[in-house]
Amino acid sequence: MRYQPVIGLEIHCELLTDSKVFCGCHNSFGGAENTRVCPRCSGMPGTLPVVNQGAVRLAAKAGFATDCTVNNYSAFDRKNYFYPDLPKAYQITQFEYPICTNGHIKVCTGRDIRINRIHIEEDAGKLVHDDYEGISLADYNRCGVPLIEIVTEPDFREIEEVQDFVQKIALRLKYAGVCDARMEQGSLRVDVNISLMPYGSDVFGTRAELKNINSIKSIGRAIRYEINRQSEILDKGGKVVQETRRYNENHDDTKSMRSKEEAHDYRYFPEPDIPPVYISDEDMAAIKAEMPEMPHERFERYTAQMGLTADDANLIIGSKQFGDYFDEAVKVYPAYKQIASMMLVEINHHLNERSMTIEDVSFTPAELAALVKLADDSVVSKNAAKEILAIMFEEGGKPEEIAKTHGFIMSNDAAELDTVIDEILSANAASVEKYKAGNAKLFGFFMGQAMSKLGKGANPKLIKEALTKKLA
Amino acid sequence: MFDSELTRHLAVLSKLSFTDDELAKMTSDMTDIIALMDKVCDFNPEIKPYALDAVDYKDLRKDNHNPSSETENIISNAKNIKNNSFVVPKVV
Amino acid sequence: MNLQELRTALDIKKISAAELTQQYLDKISALDKSINSYITVCPESAMQDAERAQKIIDAGSAGALCGIPLSIKDNICTSGVKTTCASRMLEDFVPFYDAFVIERLKADNYVMLGKTNMDEFAMGGSSQTSFFGGPKNPYDITRVTGGSSGGAAAAVAAGLCAAALGSDTGGSVRQPAAFCGVTGLKPTYGTVSRWGLIAFASSLDQIGVVANSAFDTGYVLNTIYGADKNDATTSSKSTGNYTGKCGMDLKGLRIGIPKEFLDGSSEEVRNAALKAADYYKSIGCEIVECSLPSLEYAVSAYYLISSAEAASNLSRFDGIKYGHRAEMTSDYSELISNSRAEGFGDEVKRRIMLGNYALCSGYYDAYYNNARRIRTQLRKEYAEIFEKCDVILTPTAPTTAYKIGEQESDPVKMYTADICTVTVNIAGLPAISTTCGYGANGMPIGMSIIGKAFDEKTIIAVCDRFEKDFNRKEAVL
Repeated sequence: MRYQPVIGLEIHCELLTDSKVFCGCHNSFGGAENTRVCPRCSGMPGTLPVVNQGAVRLAAKAGFATDCTVNNYSAFDRKNYFYPDLPKAYQITQFEYPICTNGHIKVCTGRDIRINRIHIEEDAGKLVHDDYEGISLADYNRCGVPLIEIVTEPDFREIEEVQDFVQKIALRLKYAGVCDARMEQGSLRVDVNISLMPYGSDVFGTRAELKNINSIKSIGRAIRYEINRQSEILDKGGKVVQETRRYNENHDDTKSMRSKEEAHDYRYFPEPDIPPVYISDEDMAAIKAEMPEMPHERFERYTAQMGLTADDANLIIGSKQFGDYFDEAVKVYPAYKQIASMMLVEINHHLNERSMTIEDVSFTPAELAALVKLADDSVVSKNAAKEILAIMFEEGGKPEEIAKTHGFIMSNDAAELDTVIDEILSANAASVEKYKAGNAKLFGFFMGQAMSKLGKGANPKLIKEALTKKLA
Repeated sequence: MFDSELTRHLAVLSKLSFTDDELAKMTSDMTDIIALMDKVCDFNPEIKPYALDAVDYKDLRKDNHNPSSETENIISNAKNIKNNSFVVPKVV
Repeated sequence: MNLQELRTALDIKKISAAELTQQYLDKISALDKSINSYITVCPESAMQDAERAQKIIDAGSAGALCGIPLSIKDNICTSGVKTTCASRMLEDFVPFYDAFVIERLKADNYVMLGKTNMDEFAMGGSSQTSFFGGPKNPYDITRVTGGSSGGAAAAVAAGLCAAALGSDTGGSVRQPAAFCGVTGLKPTYGTVSRWGLIAFASSLDQIGVVANSAFDTGYVLNTIYGADKNDATTSSKSTGNYTGKCGMDLKGLRIGIPKEFLDGSSEEVRNAALKAADYYKSIGCEIVECSLPSLEYAVSAYYLISSAEAASNLSRFDGIKYGHRAEMTSDYSELISNSRAEGFGDEVKRRIMLGNYALCSGYYDAYYNNARRIRTQLRKEYAEIFEKCDVILTPTAPTTAYKIGEQESDPVKMYTADICTVTVNIAGLPAISTTCGYGANGMPIGMSIIGKAFDEKTIIAVCDRFEKDFNRKEAVL
């Protein structure tokens, strides 16, 4: 790379409220055209916006999740522009007094990415284009869906930092219940501002804004394409134009969205229909008190206090519900590594096989803990524990009872063991000879014979000890 | 200071088409009107611009959804509808 | 007969709601061809309203306005009834929702006679910018009614309704009331919900009442005031019982007269206002000289704020969802620019252009923000006056009603004529205008009583007392 990329992000997130941000229409995804619309969100004359408390609460939580200052005072403004998906011809947003300011998130390279602001605004509708007839059809179902826009400083220097940041912030927002952060559905949308400057310079170049990026992978591809495009321009001594460019996933390129000369002047001014919002310290504390442990805090706890590996900790925190399940289980039986391993290997295997998530699991974290403890205490073998888990998935039930009814309790009867081993060794005298002559592989054969004779309650450890002694 | 170029710019922002004659008349009207408005330009900049009093978070609308309107009502005043959607010339 | 007496007449069956409604409808069909105060008259639904009301009256459970025929300004949404804002843009717009005030009136079983004429989108002081032709002053049909609620004021003055709802952004209820010789009340900002009032300037708009007397304005306000969950700018400080102080002793009441208002008015208007002050003095009120030093900035500040908000509020009229739509073109911008050019009249276009000028980058701080600073200052100056006064008396308009066609084409002249009324909206205060004299041309002269925020009760009582001793001339038609 010949140039240093300088990247900042604007991330729009749909808030998980019940109603829209300025009217009582249901906030949900999809639906037949113009069925989730009222006079207010369709911009009928004489209607007025009324702020949804839930949207303010979730926006504040987004601030807490990103170490922002959540401001007591915030206010709404109008952003004026004409577009067919915006029925009032202005978007209500927060311009001068956003609800959150000055946050930051540390990314994989150790760089601290500053968040300039988080503000509340309303989403626009959807347009379906009909090329044949040369028309666009406006559907207002999405109008008024509450959004937050998270604006970072241009602090990113590497693609990996951008991807890491988006993943981290998406996870935090999910943890906080702010947003379901599904990029492919558009509930989290990332716009990338990118410019190039010569290495060593501290003067930023002209930036382009990339839109329509629908996945973490696309973020990397779009930025890579744009770095190449801008580099070529600069190499030829040209100038990058400040513009918005649309990323096309199929062509893996970006195209200018400027259709024709339009005056770009949003004429922001304070929204006269909505008084500013004041959140008292007391209410602020109450909102903060609802915040769950954040994934990065959880990671610290898992690695520093519980001694899990970074890889395991990352896998567990990847879903809040998965981590919650783990936390509940270790509360009952604090065998961190064993429970982590049981969840990451065995439970995940079953979840994948059944296309389930941890929330669909019918047995409790306490029951899982009990199962792990049965194995740890050698009440059942490790293999038996896996089989018990399969039964718990299929039929439910408590691990102790399954162990009993299915005969998984390990036998510690030394006399029975002696008898069985003696029988096996005498029945396979030739193999014993070979083993003693140096064919060590045959030990596995004897183990297998003993295990199958002794059945589900076989204790592999005792069998091994007895065999070793008798074959010596 | 107010000229036809500024009128043209404001017409684009305002989404109003004007004929040349209308534009000339508007420029002349606006010149007089702006002269009246210029009165405010020298006002004391120390004074805080007026804003509405804030409303307490507790008094905001509770987050519960209500039924939406009938689609038929929403589109009843529109002149051009297809698939229960509002028709506009294709935008990029 | 005031509305209270009309109520009694209905309740004791001296007249039925249907008879009363029919009388008004007959009068409208006889006279409104020459007055043009209504854009839409609703004879059938009015008679249905009356019949419904009569049942309530017969059952003995009539509310204050049950069976009383009112008119509604045509910028207030009425479900199923055309609401045009006197604009080609909304020529055939039929909302499917009611304004908050209409819900209240319906709950009280009022009778709606129809929708009254006005300046297009309430922008103007003559009502002559109406797409449907301007209304005419019942005192002299060659003269303007004032505006923007000119139809409402003319209808009340001509006896074409018992009372009327109007809206007041910079004097639009008070000034036409003054021009037409009736009483007009603009309540404190936040007293009446703006839900369903098609917005002109959100921070200044307030629904008001035009009626035959101060008492009647309070009587109607009693039904329509109050906090509304659909309008976040409504207040819970409204008092209700707006006629409650009528008849009280005004001895010792301190009436402020800011000198700046008198300076800008014609001599006959100034004299009429001073004569009214003498009247109050004669009944024991104290006249206090006071000052509103920033009045000189008020008209400019008002036009910048109201036009900025209007430019944004009127952006939704693009012909796509409702309203006038130009012929289809292949370009979205062109289509909506044509729709708006065809749908809006010249004055509306000027305001939109001015508003965007005030808001656009490079001009915002010098114009829009300074206007907001002036707003802060004017509110402060009013607060200072109210430290030593209970109410303020001013002329309502610098002149009486002028001839149709005389000055409507000169925007600057029209704007500066709003000097007496705009500060009340800028400060969010309540004010009421009543007739206090007649000019040499025989036209009514109005004076305004301005009150402290949410103290409508006092200004209504102060005005009511004056009306009791003033000999008002009826319009002769």
